[in-house]
Parts: sequence; structure tokens; C-alpha cells
Amino acid sequence: MRGRGLEPTRIFLLLAFFVLGLGGFALGDVGILSRANLTSMAVFAVEIGIVALGQTFVICGGEGGIDLSVGAIAALAQVLLGLLLVAHMPWPLAIVIGLASGVVMGGVNALAITRFTIPPIIVTLATMFAFNGLALVFTGGINIDLTTMPPSFLALGQGSAFGLPLQLAAVYLPLLLLFVFLQHFSRFGRALYLAGTSELAARLAGIRTGELRGWTYVISGLLSSLAGVIGAARLGTARPDAAEQMNLVSIAIVVLGGTGIFGGDGSVIGTAVATAVIAVVDYGLSYNNINPIYQAGVMGIILITLVLAENMVRGRGGLRRVRSYWVRATSGDPLQDS
Amino acid sequence: MPSDASAHPLARPSGRVRRIFRHLPLPGERESGLLATLVVLSVLIAFGSHGALFTPVNMDNLLVSAAITAIPAIGMTVVILTGGIDVSIGSMLGLVAAVGGLAFEAHWSLVAVVPVFCLAGAGLGLFNAALIIPGRVPPVIATLGTLSIFRMLVFLVTGSNWITEIPPSLTTIFIVTRIGPLPMASIIALLMLALAAFILARFRLGRHVYAIGNNEAGIRVRRIKLYAYGLLGLLTGIAALMTLGQSPMVQTSTGEGFELKVIAAVVLGGTELSGGRGTILGTLLGTLIVELVGDGVVLLHIQPFWSGVLLGAIILFSVGAAWRPARSA
Repeated sequence: MRGRGLEPTRIFLLLAFFVLGLGGFALGDVGILSRANLTSMAVFAVEIGIVALGQTFVICGGEGGIDLSVGAIAALAQVLLGLLLVAHMPWPLAIVIGLASGVVMGGVNALAITRFTIPPIIVTLATMFAFNGLALVFTGGINIDLTTMPPSFLALGQGSAFGLPLQLAAVYLPLLLLFVFLQHFSRFGRALYLAGTSELAARLAGIRTGELRGWTYVISGLLSSLAGVIGAARLGTARPDAAEQMNLVSIAIVVLGGTGIFGGDGSVIGTAVATAVIAVVDYGLSYNNINPIYQAGVMGIILITLVLAENMVRGRGGLRRVRSYWVRATSGDPLQDS
Repeated sequence: MPSDASAHPLARPSGRVRRIFRHLPLPGERESGLLATLVVLSVLIAFGSHGALFTPVNMDNLLVSAAITAIPAIGMTVVILTGGIDVSIGSMLGLVAAVGGLAFEAHWSLVAVVPVFCLAGAGLGLFNAALIIPGRVPPVIATLGTLSIFRMLVFLVTGSNWITEIPPSLTTIFIVTRIGPLPMASIIALLMLALAAFILARFRLGRHVYAIGNNEAGIRVRRIKLYAYGLLGLLTGIAALMTLGQSPMVQTSTGEGFELKVIAAVVLGGTELSGGRGTILGTLLGTLIVELVGDGVVLLHIQPFWSGVLLGAIILFSVGAAWRPARSA
């Protein structure tokens, strides 16, 4: 058994979706193809895309790996950053502290999941509410205005470089390269694939699987806080209720990008292309003034449909599963289908 | 997740005495700890609020909301025992309330509307089950998806308007009517809890539920799992009905965050997410603690934002407290 890694077919399919989606919205209103709109789309994609990179690693690690607290971490980091900025702390230092808070929050998840062996769903569901609650407590439930902060800080979310939004050129693309390297060309990535594919095999190979998975949550925490920081700079405000749908959307992106929810396969390249697709869908819906609640609903439908289709194709559900079930039941063969 | 087989009640060396005691609803180690926590919390909150905890108005509120949480918590316990989870019930409660509210608006009689609540709930629960069991979508992914889909449907069904034409008879039935010190909602919840505990402990179906979570072999696993989600939906429908008795209007936000309260109660009560371990008594005590903490936050004039922090911390702490070093070896 080995990790499936990158599937070129899926990348082409996703690119086709991207073009179709964009074309579809353009049929409704060509205005969506304007430079300003495409830039806004890219800007939106960066934040959720960064979070999805971390989520990819968490899910790839297997054993029910999932991080539901990403949005809450982004919100709390953003709020901390905002409070420090309002207290006249130099902005680079405030950003470092904001990012450090993300590492700490990811560390809390990692510790609870690997040391105390609590299932990831419960841990990250609990920390999601805890971090969101803390963000509300720290701000008293009101938004912090950051529009009067130094332009050099706001440029992080509003500037541009090489004709691209600054956060895309200077943050997301380098990060993506780093993650491609980490996943496909480093020992960490190979170990993670193995741990996600087979816990036992990974342990026999001498991999400390708990530690390995722990790091994926720390990475996810750091990236979520980074997304929070960029969001604060982009909107010039720190909101305790920012990024509420981030967990759902990031998981949808990861699954759409070809990382199976059972771990051990997928690629951050798939995640990156899927981010573009989701960004088009989400922006297209916003552009047509669709209520955010409906957008979340559409994301839910996309997520479930994808996993269902995935299961059919891979034979984890659907006919093959049923058939193998009957074969096992009638012949007494204890082997699982693989 | 590896679990210590010898710690499971069904795997204990079964002397005759043990076998008898196993079926008696005696509190175990976990339940005793919860009971102690409950008493300490009540005393602290009672002193902190200068007795406001025990005023009849507050007690009624507490008991009714505990009932509303406890009823779906039964279903959630069964779902978690079979190794699943459902994070969509907050939106489900909202959607059932919205559909039922429309029926009230159309002047259906109460007798006709009650089945609407039950059927709508069970239907939504079975929809989740259909995704999870034949569809093989992992429970978290499926119900995270339906959490947002059901919420979208609440908006579609109500057209973002409040539904306020809820008959006062609901309040009369569930809250004003009382037997002894308990409002009717609490009586119904207690009866359901007792029935569930009895079935889980004494019937083959109950043993199968535990067996599925421990090791899925030789049992109609798929069917029982399907029923579990359906049951949770049905009970959520009943909770929706009681919610309208408590506050007679449907908003687009009705039920938001409800899922966490119920999951917190069940997990706090000692039901393990890996399945196969947990009791209804634990769930009842977990519910009471969750509700008491929520009430305490109000009574002690703590910023309401803390309730999420407290709830999250309680879940982590309670699951972490059950941790034993030997199990991770």
C-alpha cells in the first residue's frame, strides 16, 4: 500500500470545474471577469487557501484527523493582534505574537489529541468553542477598528506585488512551494503518508506517529492564525466572529482537492487548485448577493456530494462495498477489502 | 483507538454478584464523580448568587432546559455508543421548529402538529443516516455538511421571518402543568431516560448497541446504526416542540450551538467517542452539569461570552480526566 499522492486526472478535472464555474457566473454577468473582481477572488482565496494547506496535513495524517478549530484560531489570533495594535505595539511584533498564539492553540489541540488520546473531533470541537469564546471575552463582543494603523501593516492585506495581491505573491505562493516540498520531497511528508495509510506499518518503521500528527495540528494552528492576521490587515478590522465557516470550507477544499478523509493520500497541489474552484463558487455567490447562510449551505452540499461520489468511485461505498460484504459474509473470509 | 478491555463492564470477570450488580442502576466511579461535581457546583452557585439558584422561577427554567437537552442527549448517547456522532442537531432543531411553526401558522391543531415534529425530526435523522451508512460518508463530515444545509433550509422555509403564532397550549402542557415539583417536560425526559437506560441494560438490542461500538461482528450493524440516527432525529424533534413551549417563537437562529451542549453533556457523562462505553445515568448527570454551568454564568453575572469557553474547557477537562497512561501503551 502506498499513498496515492498527486492525481493528474483530478487536477485537470478541477481546472475544468474552475473554468466552467467562472464561465457560468460570467454568462450571468460578464462584470465578474473584471480585474477588480478577479483580484477580490484571489484575495479571498488566499486566506482560506492557507488554512486548507494546514487542514490537508491534518487530514492526511489519518486516524480521524480533522481540525474544526481553524476558524476560531484565526479569529482569536486576529483579535489578539488587534488588541496589541490598539495598545500601540509595533506591528511586526504584534504579528509575531499573533502567530505565536496560533502555535500555542495548535499545540493545545496536539497535546490533547496525542498525549491524552482524545478523538480529534471532540478536541477541536471543544477548542473551537473555547477559542471563539475567548475572542468574544477579549473584545467584549465588538469589532476592533484597525483602519488607522500604519499603512505598512495594512499593505499585508491590501498591497500588491508583481501585479498580484501582496498576500498571494509574498505569502501564499511561497508557502505553497514550501508545503509541496514538505509533502512530496521530505521525510516528514513520506512519514505522514505512511502514518495515514497504516498506523501499524508506520510504527513498525520506527515513526513516532503521535508526535508526527501532533505537529500537523501545530502547523494548522500557525497557518490559521496567519490567515487571521491577513484577514485583519485586509479588512482593517479585527472581529471576534471572523471566519466562522472556515472549518467547513477548508475541509470541503481538502476533500475536493483529492485528500481522502481516511488519510494517507492527496496532495497540497490538489488542495491549491480546489481552493481556486471554491473561491470562484463562493465569490460568484457573494457577487450575486446570495445570503452567506446559503453559501454555507451550498458548501455543505458540495462537501457531501463529493465524499459520496468519491466513495462510489473508490469502492468504499456503493456496489463494490456491498458485494465484498456479501462475499465475506458467505465465504467467511475475514480479510477486509483494501 | 486501543481501549483497555478489562475496564469494560461487559468484559469483567463475571462472578454472580458482579452479574447482578451490573444490571442495577448503581452509580459507577464516573457517575459518583459527576454527582459530587454537581453537588459542589450547586453549592458554589447557590452561595455565589445569594440563593437565586433555588428560586422557583430559576429552578423551573433550569429543569425545562435540562429536559430539552437531555432528550436528544439520549439519542446522542446511542449514536456515540455505536461509534458515530451527529453535529447537525442544532440546525435540525431549528428546521423542525420552522416546519412545525409553519403548520401552527396554518392553524393545524396541536394533535396534528405533534406528529409533524416527530416525523420531520426522524426524517432528518434518517437523512444523516443515509449519508453515513449506505453512503459511507464519515459521520463528522456528513453532519458538518447537513449542519449548514439544514440551517440554509431554515432560511428557505421561514423566508427569514420570525414565526410567532405558536399556541400557548404548548407552554401550558410542558411547563405550567406539573407533577410535584417537576414541570411536565422534566417528567417526560425522566421517563424517556429511564426507558432508554432499561433497554440499554436489559435488552438484547441494548447489548448490541454496546457491542457495535466495541467490535462490529455478527450483528445487524448497519440497521442498528441507522435506527440510532433516526432515534436522535426523533428526539430532537420532540426537543424542538418543547423549545417552542419554552419560548414561543421560531427565529432563523433557533437551535444554534445546541449540538455542542448535547455533545458536551454526553461526553461529560462518560460516553467515549470511540464507542462502546457510556451510560444513560452519566448522560443525565452530564446534562445537569452543563445546564447548571450555563445557569450559573447568568446568575453570577459573568459575561455570557464565557459560556463557550467554559463548555469547551469542561469537555476537554472531563475527557482528559478519564485518561490513564497505560491505555496509550
